[in-house]
Order: sequence, then structure tokens, then C-alpha cells
Amino acid sequence: MKLVAQLEDLLYQSQLVPKKEELRLSAWRILVHDSEAVSLGVKDNSSGSVYTPPTYRQGESGEVFLVWSDGTCSQATVQLPAQNDPEYWSKELEQWRQASYEDPDATHIPAPEPLPLVAVEDRAIQKIIAGDDEILFDQVKHWLTDKPKNVKMQGSIQAAWGYRHVRTSTGLAVTYQQSQFMAWFSFDSLIGAGFAKRRLIHPQEQEDLWSLTVERYEGMQKEAPPVGPQTQVIFAPSLTEEMLGQFILPNFSGDRVIEGQGAFSKENFIEHRMVFHPQFSLSIDPLRPLELGSYLVTSEGVPAERTELVRNGQLQTPFLRVKDAVRWGAKPTALPQGTAGVYLKHQAEVSWAEAMRGVEDGVLVLSVLGLHTQEAVSGSYSLSAPHSLRILKGQIVGRTDVKLSGNFLADLLASTTKTAHSDLDSHPYLLIKTGIQPL
Amino acid sequence: MEQKEIQALVRSVLMEAKIFDGYVIVRAQSRREWSMRLSNGRFERVSTGWDNGLGVQAFTKDGASGLATSDVLEEGVGTKLLAKAIQLAHRNEGVGTKLNRRIWEAPQLQADGVNPAQKVFGEIPLVELEEKVMSLHSRLRGAFPEGVWQTSYRQVEEEWCIGRSDGTLVSFVVPRAVLMHQGTVRDQDKAQSTLIHRSGMDATVLFEELKDHSLERKAMDRAEFARAVCNAPQLPSGHYPLIIDYGLAKGLAHEAFGHAVESDHINESVLGEEGKLRKGLRVARPGVNIIDGPLVGDWAYQPYSANGLLRQTVTIVRDGVLEAGLGDIFSAEEAGMPVTGAGRAESYRHVPLPRMSNIRLLVERMIPLAPAEHLMDEVKAVRATLLQHGELREGEKNLLLLGYRGGQVNPKTGDFVFQCDGIIDVADPDLPIYQPSIFSGKILSALEAIRGGLGEGCYDAIGTCGKGGQSVPSSGGSHRYLLMDADQQVSLGGEHG
Repeated sequence: MKLVAQLEDLLYQSQLVPKKEELRLSAWRILVHDSEAVSLGVKDNSSGSVYTPPTYRQGESGEVFLVWSDGTCSQATVQLPAQNDPEYWSKELEQWRQASYEDPDATHIPAPEPLPLVAVEDRAIQKIIAGDDEILFDQVKHWLTDKPKNVKMQGSIQAAWGYRHVRTSTGLAVTYQQSQFMAWFSFDSLIGAGFAKRRLIHPQEQEDLWSLTVERYEGMQKEAPPVGPQTQVIFAPSLTEEMLGQFILPNFSGDRVIEGQGAFSKENFIEHRMVFHPQFSLSIDPLRPLELGSYLVTSEGVPAERTELVRNGQLQTPFLRVKDAVRWGAKPTALPQGTAGVYLKHQAEVSWAEAMRGVEDGVLVLSVLGLHTQEAVSGSYSLSAPHSLRILKGQIVGRTDVKLSGNFLADLLASTTKTAHSDLDSHPYLLIKTGIQPL
Repeated sequence: MEQKEIQALVRSVLMEAKIFDGYVIVRAQSRREWSMRLSNGRFERVSTGWDNGLGVQAFTKDGASGLATSDVLEEGVGTKLLAKAIQLAHRNEGVGTKLNRRIWEAPQLQADGVNPAQKVFGEIPLVELEEKVMSLHSRLRGAFPEGVWQTSYRQVEEEWCIGRSDGTLVSFVVPRAVLMHQGTVRDQDKAQSTLIHRSGMDATVLFEELKDHSLERKAMDRAEFARAVCNAPQLPSGHYPLIIDYGLAKGLAHEAFGHAVESDHINESVLGEEGKLRKGLRVARPGVNIIDGPLVGDWAYQPYSANGLLRQTVTIVRDGVLEAGLGDIFSAEEAGMPVTGAGRAESYRHVPLPRMSNIRLLVERMIPLAPAEHLMDEVKAVRATLLQHGELREGEKNLLLLGYRGGQVNPKTGDFVFQCDGIIDVADPDLPIYQPSIFSGKILSALEAIRGGLGEGCYDAIGTCGKGGQSVPSSGGSHRYLLMDADQQVSLGGEHG
């Protein structure tokens, strides 16, 4: 019997005819993931080395949230019992009861609502899981054949497919299939690229991503003139994504705003304080087809919908889980999946090719060391970025090492900040004026 | 799952694997966790959970490998995973992977480690733990009401059993517990956060904290410091004589040095040459030692490797000279170092990689430091001690870096960065405070710049090592403070100097 079915039986029974009155539930919800994944890695130019072998993973686990009849609640992670112990779930229920705590705002379980239609499954990935895994081995073979000479390459490719089950005591019973495909590679641990969506990468995307990375790797092979204080700093899309994850998401998390632990207060949101430049908007959009951050329903049973966190530079709402929404006095919002599903948009965005042509004196920062160590609430950063690419008169002219100091919240408020988009990325290039000096 | 059940599961897979003409490593793990988080006087979350699973790593007779794992421990799971792992290993051999037969050389071992916990998991009921954590949280809020406080407590018990085709069967238990206070403080419109912890093996950390409240005192001191940092000026960037606390020293040893001597990284490490460890290389001044090895009671304790070998304590640097690396069975010989049982994995789902456990950076030239109860008293004692021993560099800033916020290193280039909570100039009698700024440079230069230690050894700086996308507990430390000379290859960021 599948885990989700066992849990449903258990929780309905405990709601309607509990073994003991103290084990009576008034409400509950269940989230179970039932998935399989295959992966293959490259280490030091060797595919499937002892550290990166072809791997198969199977998992069936999840979490339950329970509201007892006295109003207290419990949370637990769950998996199938390891053996046929008929008393297993009864003992677990007793354990969960022991772990109950008071959190009145968390006890609301939303009633079911119509779900949107969102494409989150690529059937081609299911075939890989079923054994037709040639594509993974072929891809890795191509990487190793095509890589630049004398490069030490690392990489990984993974396909995952499975079911997501969400059940609630209010009558929601959703099961849907979803897939994931992720691939990344790097040259000499200096430069890399990645792809992560709910579908396979298209051959053209793979080719473009590869060419761009090779071109930049070649650009790194010679030293460039050092940067000056006026040098324009450009964050590559992957770095923009990391900056959003480090400085923006924590400050838009509803619980942190409510508890006073974020950069903005609840009043700031209510007054729609201007925190970004008026040309910037920030949203969470789980409705985009086959994007990694897309879903049909949250783990709490809230249907997917698009949420604007910042519109025209002004705060709109933090992202709110059900409990935070109760405390905030609003509906629950869309939720990010890490940084996936979060979109930053500037009204005057141009293509990357056009933006680069206009850069007279710039540096393209592909990655930084130590971003995770920076203070999220203040937005301040002090970072080193070895192996950045110097741009002069619209052309990459070589490699340079730089140190950056500034404030990401101030960067998004500045009128000098612009963005540029590329079809290869869901996050933009960010062109900013910030503190820069040679490393 | 109980230890006996885990062992039975591993044995049954090994029995089935006997007909396979290759080699298998079977890893079974049962992980139990209780955690809770309180925010502003209320429980935000109390969670319980189990994670049981099995991983089978198969090697063809020529040394190509495949891995299969599952947390669905139903009847026949071992058979299914064994077949899948063997199939993947053969598939891998067919595409010409780099072969590795080192596992055949691993020494056979039978070991059944005892659980080192003083209070076994579940001995203190969850309800009682909740009361204790709430009591500590409430007391801190009362003592420092200007801060917004979150308190977390987490206790974990991992039971492992690792079996191999040669008859090896190694079982051990790793208990861990940590109590953390995270505070956010504001001054005018600026905010800063601070995070401190007290770690150990089990609920004893709560009992100890209820007795001495040392974490609470540290939390308050750190919150005061964070408030002072909110509107502190930035330092001009540059190269300064530095005094780093033991948390940062652990970061330096772990990120900047330990990773560079792991056997699977030697090909890409500044401490490797033509794929071999540069043994005999002088990397620091005489008297500097770097040691890695498990300590009982420590956050990162693990007595055996995830490949079923005894974990050894290794002196990586002795008297300033690179002596040894952290080698696992698969790459140690190729990297020119002995096998030290360094393979660790996040769980049964993961392939073990050579990793650190508790890494300590110690120097023979140690100046005693009288312990002080509060942070700023200790800073004053640091200044007084340095003055007394003629260790303050005249006419320039001598900067004390406090609090480790994490770091990162590129082992190939030797570039590292670390971040701290804030900086104090101990050369100035007013002890002015500055904003944190990135501490970065070249790892060999940083090590070469170490000139002494201040205070006794403190090895309880904890973290999580993210190598290879896995999350594995790490820890370490040094003397309470390390003294470093100014070096042109080691700098602090900040405003353009």
C-alpha cells in the first residue's frame, strides 16, 4: 500500500474514530513525494568515476501537519515503515501527539479551490527513468568530446520523475506527475553553465549554452587591463539569481517580515514603500510551463497563482504561507522554490547582445566567492570575484580579478541600474554601478 | 529501525551479492531527528522524523561502479537495488569510465561501535525538551528585549551499518545536538543579525545551558556588538595585521587548507603537483600545525568512514611543513598519500567523498589569555595581553575579526574569502568598531602570515560542509585567537583604500 494511502487511512480514522479521545484530529494535511531519479557525473574528464557513478535513486517520503481536537498542532516527516509492524502508525501517532505545540495561526487548512492547468511534466523524462537513459550517457560523451583542449571538466546530469500527492482534511486530494532535468558543467573549476527545468534541454539550447561557455573560457585565457572606480559592473544571470536568493528572498518571506527580522516592516508593505527603482517589478510565477519553480498547488493545498511582490518599485506583499497569511490578514500567495519561480523585470530591459555593445568600460562577473556569508537584512556585500571578464568597447578582452563592495537593495533602487535578457536564462543580466577595485 | 535490523538488512544484501563476480559496498542508515524553532516567545515549529534507507554501490570486476539507493524498505528492496547497481556498473564500464579497483585493497574490518551519547535519543521526552528550550528562549528575550530572537534546538541520531564483499561489517552511531540563538537588532534604520550556538552529542547541551547560561551571555554580547556594527564606519580596504577568532581560524583551516589536501581534489589543488600531494612543502612558519580527526562528543564526530574503514587522526601540517593529506580508499594512493579513512557521506543516498571531520590549527608560540566573561572584556584583555607582549604593530591598525559567517575557497587557484560579524581595532585604546568586510586572499599566504596563538585551544566551531552538493557536519578551531601579520596577498575588503 502506498505511503499516501496509509496516511490517509490513518488520519481519517483518527479524525472520525480515534483509538483514544486524546488522539482525535480536527484537521490535517499530507504531502508525499514518490519519485525516481537517475544521474551521471563527470569528474576530472572521466564520466561515471568512482565519485560520480551512474546512480539510481528511489524515494517515497513526505510530511504531515496535524491539528488535534484541543487546537494544538504537530508536524512530522514520514516514510513507509521498514517492516510489517501493524502497530507502526499507531505508535507514530502517539509520538506526534507528544510533539504537539500551540500555534493557533497555523491551524487553518484551506478549503479546496479549482487548480490551474500548469505543465510540470515532460514524458520524455519518464522514459529515461524507465530505462531509456542513452540520452544521459550521450550528452556526457559529447561534452567530453567537444571540450576545449587541456581543460579539466566537471559536470553532472540528472533526470527525475514522480508523483506529488497533496491531501487535506478539507477535501483536497490531488496527485499529479512532475519531472525535472538538470545539467551543469564547468571548465577548470573556473567557469561553468547549467540548465534546470521540468523538461529536457533542447539541442539548440545545449549548443548555445556550450558555445557561450567555451567562448567565455577562451576569453579568460589572457589578462585584461585592471578595472577602475568607474567601471560598469555586470552580474551574469546566474549571479543575479544568487543575489536574489541571498538578499531579496529572505526579506520577502512573510514570517520574517511579521517577526521584524527582515529589511522591510509590515507597515512598509501596507504603505507600498518604494524600495526598488520604479522601473523594476518582482514576482513569483508558478504558472509558467515547465519551469523549475512551477507547480499546481502548494504543499499546503493553495492553488498556484502569480503574485507580485514589487510593482513599479513599490512593495506589494511578502510571500505568505497559510499561517503567515492568517497573521497578515490576506490570502496565501505563490511561493518560490528556492529562487526558481522568482522573476525580476525592468521596464527598459534590452537583449544582452545590445546591452554588451553599449558597455564602454565594464566587467562581467560570472561568480563570486562567499556570497552566502553576506548579511541578508542589510543588503550589504563585500565580495571577491576572481576570474571575471573585462569588457572594453563592447568586447570581452580578457580576464581580471575584482573586489566588489556595495548594497544590493541600493543597487535595485538606483536609476543607473539596468537589466538585459538572454533566452538561455530565466534571470536577467544586471548592469550596476557599485564599488569595484582590482583584487 | 534498530541497529540489529539495519545489520540484518546489510547482511542479506551481501549474501545475495555473493553470486556477483564484482564487489559491493552496502550502506544502511537510520536517522532520527527532533527539532524545534521558537520565535518571539512562540513555537514556530516542532518536528519529528525518521529517515531509513539503503544504498548499494556495485563494482564490476574491472572496477566500474554504479549506485542504487532507496528509502522504500519493502520486501525485496535489497535484491532490486543490487540488480540496479550492478546493471549501472556494467553500463558504466561499457562507456569507458575510469576504472578503480582500490576497494579490493581495503582492510577487512568488523566493528560495532558503542553509542557515545550520555543521554540516548528519546531518554528525555520531547515535551520536556520543549519546556527547556522555551525556558531558555524566554529568559533570553527577557534579558535582551531590544532584539528579535529565534531559538532553535535540534537533536539527531544516525545509526550506520556498512558492509562489503570482503566480509567487512562496521556499525556505529553518531549522535548530535545543537542549540542556537539567532537575533536581529536595529539601530536607527539599520539592522544586523547574529547567530550563535552550543553543540554536543545530545540533550546534555540543554542541561548545561540551563546550569551556566553561557550561550545566553554570548548571545547578548553578540547582539550588543551587532547593534554597534549597524552604523559603524567601513574600513578602507587594505592589508592589515589581523587577530582572528577561532571560528574564523576553523574556517581558514577547513575552507582554505583542509579541502586542498583531500585526495580527490589533489589534481586541482594548489597543494598538489602532477596529481600528487606536495609533501615536504613549507606552507607555514615553524611551529604551525594542522590536525584533522574525530573527537568524541564533537558535532562532526564519526569514528569510521562511510566505506567501512577506521577514521584516522592526521597531522596535515607539522611544524609548518605539509606532511599528509586526507585520503579515502579510492584516490589516496593516486594522490600520493596514505588511506586515512576520510570518506564521509551525507547519507546512504550519497557517494562518500574524502572530507574533514574536526580540523584544528595550532601554533607552538602561544600567549596565554585570561578568560573573560563578556565579549568586550575579552577584547580589552586581548589588547592588554598584546601590549604586554609587544605584539601590537606600532602605528597601524591591528584588526580583530569577530564571528565566522562562512567562507569559500577555490582549491585550484588558492583564492579564499571569509566573512565575519564585525571588526575592532585593538591598536586604538577606544576599541572602535567597523563594519564587517570580506577577508580574502591566497591560502598559502594566509597560512604563512600566522605568527602566533592567543589563549587555549577551542575546537567547537561548527558548520556544515557542502562539498559535492552534500551537507555533512564539520567542526574545528584553534587557539581562542590567531595572530597574523599583514600580507600583500591577504586583504580586507571595504571602501577603496
